[in-house]
Amino acid sequence: MELSRRRLVQLGLLGMAGASVGGLTAACGDSASGGSDSSLSLWIWGGGLSKAVLDDAVKKFTKPALKTQEIGGDFKAKLLTTMTGGRGVPDITGVKGEDIASFYPQAKQFTDLNSLGADKLKSQYLDWKWAQATAPDGTQMGIPIDIGPTALFYREDVFAQAGLPTDPAELAAAASTYDDYYQLGVQLKAKLPDHYLVKDLGTIFGMVTGAGTEFYVDKDDKFIGDQDHIRAAWDTAIKALTLGIDAKITDGNDTNAGMTNGTLPAQLGAAWAGLDIANGAPDSAGKWKVAANPGGPANIGGSFLTIPKSSKNAEQAFEVITWILSPENEARGFGDAALFPATPASYTMAELTKPDPFFGGQKTIEVFGPQAEKIPVAFTSPYDGAVSAAYYEELGNVETKGKDPEDAWNDAVSKAKSVAERLGVSV
Amino acid sequence: MSERNLVLADPVPDQHPASGAGRPRRRTVFWRYWPQYLAISPFYLLFAVFGLFPVLFSLYLSLHRWSGLGDREFVGLHQYRFLIKDHTFYLSLWNTVVIWLMSTVPMLSMALVIAALLHSVTRAKSFYRMAYFIPNVTSVVAMAILFKMLFSSHFGLINAILQAVHLPTYPWTNTPWGIKITIASLMTWQWVGYNAIIYLAGLQTIPGHLYEAAKVDGAGPIRTFFSITVPLLRPVILFTVVISTITGLQSFTEAQVLTGSNAATAPNSGGPGQGGLTMVLYFFQQAFSYNDYGYGAAMAWAIFLIVGVFTLINWRLVARAED
Repeated sequence: MELSRRRLVQLGLLGMAGASVGGLTAACGDSASGGSDSSLSLWIWGGGLSKAVLDDAVKKFTKPALKTQEIGGDFKAKLLTTMTGGRGVPDITGVKGEDIASFYPQAKQFTDLNSLGADKLKSQYLDWKWAQATAPDGTQMGIPIDIGPTALFYREDVFAQAGLPTDPAELAAAASTYDDYYQLGVQLKAKLPDHYLVKDLGTIFGMVTGAGTEFYVDKDDKFIGDQDHIRAAWDTAIKALTLGIDAKITDGNDTNAGMTNGTLPAQLGAAWAGLDIANGAPDSAGKWKVAANPGGPANIGGSFLTIPKSSKNAEQAFEVITWILSPENEARGFGDAALFPATPASYTMAELTKPDPFFGGQKTIEVFGPQAEKIPVAFTSPYDGAVSAAYYEELGNVETKGKDPEDAWNDAVSKAKSVAERLGVSV
Repeated sequence: MSERNLVLADPVPDQHPASGAGRPRRRTVFWRYWPQYLAISPFYLLFAVFGLFPVLFSLYLSLHRWSGLGDREFVGLHQYRFLIKDHTFYLSLWNTVVIWLMSTVPMLSMALVIAALLHSVTRAKSFYRMAYFIPNVTSVVAMAILFKMLFSSHFGLINAILQAVHLPTYPWTNTPWGIKITIASLMTWQWVGYNAIIYLAGLQTIPGHLYEAAKVDGAGPIRTFFSITVPLLRPVILFTVVISTITGLQSFTEAQVLTGSNAATAPNSGGPGQGGLTMVLYFFQQAFSYNDYGYGAAMAWAIFLIVGVFTLINWRLVARAED
């Protein structure tokens, strides 16, 4: 292809023009998303806050104007890169419950909400959830949006067929420990072949460890993943396999199929898992019930709103947060986004006390409310997530490859130890 | 971007062959050609910012411990020392190679056959070519979700068909081998048409008189295929093998979506028995699920080395066969 010198210059200039336009739009995007004095920006992932409450907040807070942005994709990665980049950091941002601990070492990057008066509001929120957002250095990084108290979801009709207790209170009493629960599982499988009470071993392990007060790494950054509390959870999970009541299902489609046709008539999970059941097995609506789960309540998930240190309007941002997360508004969040409130005062409000048709008209708050208040204060280490992976992987090996449980435990501990060591945890 | 650069960069040396000259001469050369340099600069500037810098920065990161926020702690070769002892990394290497073999071998053989068929088609040529190419331009994520349903243990189409012909069903998405087969078949499905089109282009350059001569000598279609088509296609086959190696060893999206692990506990760990944990998925898990950017960067370099070695071996094997 022949190109004249003149044409080349033209193309070059065009290219430069293109580059500068790109630069300009980037600059515009920057000023729009926070960091400025004239507006307050709020970042949240899809479904992370009640839409209705957010709309009202935008109407209510106009000086400076509140601008909410729903961030799609990997929320934490986007927040991290923006904070590291230091420009366009939002004034208010959501942080997921499973991520909050990983921010502890960088607590200085967040405004200590106690300095804005958060300590006066502490009593409105559940202790243990509030403590999750308290970094080891004392910084109060966030205020809870919601929590994930666990329970046992079960198909009343299938349980009745198998002669198991169907009343929530009776069932909770009959299955207060995992040993009792497993007995019901054996009974179920004897009456109805190919019906399983346990979906997979990882779920059990997560539920049992989750009910504890410390996990894999303690407050002093010391590895404790080889101690009794983890070993007990491991043994509890393995027992489901040896009793033959484990369905070994990790795949979502198979889970949905099992919940619909009744071969998987129970789910152990957090309050929000009720929504997954309703979406995954819509044909079974009305047949489900909720009871307190075996082994005591745990928490899975639940998020926070925080104010990054770079915000120039921390006080106004704090006002917005406390309004959005008041007990009244948290109750509204339950109504339209299935966010379970972290404020016990909400539990008696109309949004929570009305019967749920998916659960056969049961008032589920009667189960979840007491569960939520019984969850113990626990310490999650920034390293727990990475260190815990080894246990779930090895449980998977036992479950799908028939690996010897004792070998798997030893491998899990040594893998977890080496990951912990790499991350700078003392072992 | 690279295409535009090719077009622009090409005429410069052709029009004015640079004569070997000393330093002052080179300066004048620069001033004489500055519009051309300016014209090609956007690519190099963008490459420097989005290509070269990240590569160098990842090398720097691999010598540190960093959570993505706050200070980077220099740890020397600590990450690499851990990497060479990391069983999970070797498992992911094994998974990747197995999935690569299970996808590339059937993919390329089928592509060659399809190309030969397409070559002999006389009617509705464009239709067939497009039909085979479409899988390559559909979204991997959407197809992964579809394949997940096809291979689902209890209500998947594959198991329904097996049942219909009285064969035992298999829990595809719940076992380490099943998940590998699922990933490999998705990759095969997606790339077979792309490779077939490339082979077809190669086939069209083989002169027709060679086939006529073979026919005169009494060779049947199968003999012709192996004695004329395959040897003359060798350079094209080499190209597809190298490209398949590079993409196959970096498979990620298929595995990530199929093992569907956005769970809060042990995310992106590769599905049942970690059977779908590929090298890039493991890298992604460490860097982006656990924000261990230092280890992630070290692993990225290890993957780079492994892909390089595999490509070299491939090149040697296929090129030697050519001699």
